[in-house]
Amino acid sequence: MQIVAQRNGTQSPTSVAGSTVAAVGETAVSAVGGGVRSAVTNVANLPKLSSDNARLRASNAALLRENANLHALADDYAARASVQPIVDLYAGAIEARVIGFPPENESRTITVDRGAQSGVRKDDAVLADGGAVGRVEAVGPFSSTVVLVSDYTSQIPAVVREGRWWGIARGNLSSVRFDYVSQDARLRPGEVVVTGEGRSFHAGVPIGTIVGVDRGVSSLYQSAQLKPAVDLDALDRVVIVPK
Amino acid sequence: MSSSRSKLHEAPFVGPPWWVAGGWLALALLAQVTVLHYVAIRNVEPSFVIVAVVWYAVRVDVRRAAVYGLIAGLCEDALAPGTGAAWTISTTLVAIPASALSRGFFSDSIPIVSVVAAAATLLRNGAFWIVMALQGYPRGLGHIHLHETILQAVMNAAAMAVVMLLVRRFAPPPRL
Repeated sequence: MQIVAQRNGTQSPTSVAGSTVAAVGETAVSAVGGGVRSAVTNVANLPKLSSDNARLRASNAALLRENANLHALADDYAARASVQPIVDLYAGAIEARVIGFPPENESRTITVDRGAQSGVRKDDAVLADGGAVGRVEAVGPFSSTVVLVSDYTSQIPAVVREGRWWGIARGNLSSVRFDYVSQDARLRPGEVVVTGEGRSFHAGVPIGTIVGVDRGVSSLYQSAQLKPAVDLDALDRVVIVPK
Repeated sequence: MSSSRSKLHEAPFVGPPWWVAGGWLALALLAQVTVLHYVAIRNVEPSFVIVAVVWYAVRVDVRRAAVYGLIAGLCEDALAPGTGAAWTISTTLVAIPASALSRGFFSDSIPIVSVVAAAATLLRNGAFWIVMALQGYPRGLGHIHLHETILQAVMNAAAMAVVMLLVRRFAPPPRL
């Protein structure tokens, strides 16, 4: 068979069978040998791998800490940058940070970390990025209490920016109402209501946007529901503006 | 006459030491004016102060409970602008019946004390807004406060259950 296959230039069945068996054996030996070699190498490198692992873990922890610090710095910078235009706009403006809230949320007030020592006075206006926040109600040496525009004691002379219709922006705990507006006024949802010149605020500071109008058929006045210009539940930095 | 009829039975004091109760009250007040604002739902946040007051009141006699409620309410009035003495009066008023009723149920029963916390919230907020109205609070916002009170009662009952579970898990068993 070998000779015939040699003459025909092909492989004999014996050769095919032999080479196949040999290939399987070689593959098996090679795999086992590779595995053993790899295992021996790993065992030999174990102390080095362990130290590398510890070093990488420490490095990862340090990077995570640094990342968290950088995020905190970036957030702080963004918060400062958001109120910086207000500080630049008004002379004597005082930047402050919100540090507290009423214990049971029974009123809509906040506590800020600036008081009489920083020049804060009662009835000063408080603004944030976007518009009016409220007015200073009580001043301590190092902190002040601010009544938000949504508090039931808040009453601000206000005017519709387009149309100049006057009214009073009053808090009703959950939002702000724009009351005592003449029935002649054409109030439309989406219009911006701003402060008029008053005891606390300079004119033109946005209070909120009209989201609903109640014409009150038998009433002398109409009123509107406002969405506050500032997210009053997410206050961080504010600016106290003396009048 | 037997002297046992003329002298009221007084149960031995098994409540927490004053410094433990004071510490919990201080922590509750601190949480109340800082972090709890961020977990508010529909402008309503749980009251850890009433949880602390009920937790203490059901373990002690009426006099101690009243003093604890008085101090807790005073602290809240000191921290809240424009409430006058409303928290002081309402919290004291709640601590007294909570303590008096505790003679009739087990103070370590989570469902019962949670229900008491909810009832105390309803009673305290009712008393609070009545006092506020007497102090000049405007009318017309009652429905908002009613909704807020009901939601807070549910929150406080849940908070009380969680607190009791944590205390049961980590605190040492009481001395008998």
